[in-house]
Amino acid sequence: MWITSKIKQLLMVMKPGVVTLDYPNERPPVPANLRGQPVFDHQKCIGCGGCSDHCPARCILVRDVCQELRVMLYDGSRCTYCGRCADICPEKAITMSNSFEIACDQKEDITTRMELFMMTCQRCGRCYEMEKTNAIDRINLKGFRYDNLEQRALVRKTSETFDPALLKESDNYQRPSDKE
Amino acid sequence: MSIRKELEAKLIARLRDDVVCVEKTDERTIYIDVKRAGFREASQIITASGARYLCSIGYDNIERDGTLAMVHTYALDDSNRFVCCRASAPVDDPVLESITPDLPSAGWSEREVTDLLGLRFAGHPKPKKLVLADDWPEGIYPLRKEVPHDFVPQGAEDVAYQLDEAPPGTKIVPVGPFHPSLHEPEHFAVYVDGETIKGCDYRGFMTHRGIEKLCQTQVSYNEVPFIAERICGICGSVHATAFSQAVESAAGLIIPRRAEFIRTMMLEIERIHSNLLWLGVAGHLIGFDTVFMQAWRVREQIMWLCERLTGNRKTYGMILVGGVRRDITPDIAEDILNVVKKIEDELTVIYRAIEKDTSIHKRTKGVGTITRQQAIDWNLIGPVARARGVDIDARRDHPYAAYDEMKFEVPVLDGCDVWSTLVVRVVETFEAIKIIRQCLDKMPGGEIFVEMKDKIPAQRHAITVVEAPRGESVHYVVTGEDNRPERWRVRAPTFTNLQAVPLMLLDEQFGDFPIIMGSIDPCFSCTDRVAVVDLQTGKSSSISKAELDVMSRKRLQGNQLQQVQK
Repeated sequence: MWITSKIKQLLMVMKPGVVTLDYPNERPPVPANLRGQPVFDHQKCIGCGGCSDHCPARCILVRDVCQELRVMLYDGSRCTYCGRCADICPEKAITMSNSFEIACDQKEDITTRMELFMMTCQRCGRCYEMEKTNAIDRINLKGFRYDNLEQRALVRKTSETFDPALLKESDNYQRPSDKE
Repeated sequence: MSIRKELEAKLIARLRDDVVCVEKTDERTIYIDVKRAGFREASQIITASGARYLCSIGYDNIERDGTLAMVHTYALDDSNRFVCCRASAPVDDPVLESITPDLPSAGWSEREVTDLLGLRFAGHPKPKKLVLADDWPEGIYPLRKEVPHDFVPQGAEDVAYQLDEAPPGTKIVPVGPFHPSLHEPEHFAVYVDGETIKGCDYRGFMTHRGIEKLCQTQVSYNEVPFIAERICGICGSVHATAFSQAVESAAGLIIPRRAEFIRTMMLEIERIHSNLLWLGVAGHLIGFDTVFMQAWRVREQIMWLCERLTGNRKTYGMILVGGVRRDITPDIAEDILNVVKKIEDELTVIYRAIEKDTSIHKRTKGVGTITRQQAIDWNLIGPVARARGVDIDARRDHPYAAYDEMKFEVPVLDGCDVWSTLVVRVVETFEAIKIIRQCLDKMPGGEIFVEMKDKIPAQRHAITVVEAPRGESVHYVVTGEDNRPERWRVRAPTFTNLQAVPLMLLDEQFGDFPIIMGSIDPCFSCTDRVAVVDLQTGKSSSISKAELDVMSRKRLQGNQLQQVQK
């Protein structure tokens, strides 16, 4: 019946009333375990690069500018907020905060850059407890790394000892383009 | 006699030496290798024995033996078996016989392989471009291994896709390149005679992102689920689960039972949200925005539940190869039960309010009709098929995750129209709620993730089917060397259903185009222009989305007016 359906529809609409939130005046409920913007704790970070190895969006870059200095760059403009880095981190240096209002004009505002002073291991030059048990995640990216921070690109090259030549080479990295 | 032996006997009787081998790789997959001369005939024999065609996968084997290989996959729904039929052609003579004349829904799969790998099909009725852009250079096949993943060819001017010739006496109404009210870039040329649709041609794949190529060359196994999740904004867990299952099956990895239960629950939560979303969109497309608002209001609760459960409204990021990432605590279990109870109540209210509404009936009953036989011939899947009397559901026929322990009904109607699709999807939502309750009831304790200790061997083939809200998704994985798949083929449900849309549209009114199109629930993306080109004068004018909505609404009001007059 057409008319009874319309009455039922009217009741269906009347009962809940207005449910829209008055955002931004009213904050939406934010659950405790929201995967928001990741926060990096430079005090806890040991510079192992595990987060970089497991980031599906490849937005955590690692560059060794010399034997003792490792720069880690988190590029939030590309982040998918999967929270994999926080899962992986052996030192719990990464936490997924519940801040989600992170639209901004400047890319730098959502970029985190850490400069870590690294100790040299007497035996191998670099010693980190990499996550070695899980074969599926094993990527051969240990030792010194040379991602290009300017281009925000992960350069898949590593070396056991610090190599200035590779550093120079990754400096000249160019993205492919259709204008040749 | 086992199914494998039976098939082998039939194949050898007809093809003799062309059969290379018939083997069973796991409990439910049968692989048949044939020489290329017998490829089409093998396909005929397999379909004659009751198998339903799923999709075809082409892959590059040039490095190993200088061939391009092709796999046709079929499902035996009665006995829970998959049949994969493989053949290959040398790269310097890359021609295989087409199976499209026998199986119309293979048309797109074959055109895709031609585009991406350069394997051609003799006897294909419509060997046009499908996936690649119109200005993509000749002779470069992006899925071949020699082509880098970031290859950017030079663009070209003056190239355009040639749409099919319009039947005599009809005019062309182009819908696209962005679809009005549905939300995906796609281009339909609809041939109309007055208001009646006489045919249509489709040009799509404007947003082909090369995800398969990316995952075959760049990332590792455990990063793929996150990318798979982004194939579709609605059924993300479906793709992530399907990929993970395919890899687990190739590697012989057995995941904890609790993880399987959590996966099942995520899939069903996704089904509830997707069905409610579709119900809203369907209401919107026929100009009935009350349904749209109310269905989406109810749906919002499940989005918030997901946020509490997984940390995000969509792209849950729950599934990894080997298990799931977050556990279900007793608190969250109670939360889930409360939310689904509320949704059940409120959806019942919505359903009661619309089930007898004659204005909806007028817009949906008898619209988009195709017969049961046509639905079978075109291999329709999901709710679209079930609304046409085809009793298939991958959850029941090919149980995965924890579905073997779940008790649920598969609604099958024989109305053959859009209204039946709507009813099927509403009933399925109630069934999904039942499944979630069973999951929480029966969920065993234990681990939720198992680590992969050994390397995944290369060159293993695996196929899985997962029932997405809008039909089944097929994932096919060939494992590779560098901790990543060598070939990963995703067949989303729309890929199959969209091919039958010209048939659904035939002899329907143009004003019903949005709802017929919407009834298969194609993956949406939004925007809004229809250009009407008058063939005689060549003038073109535009209809905006608002105008199309008005056209749609006029039909609705017309119906209501008739109702009042009665």
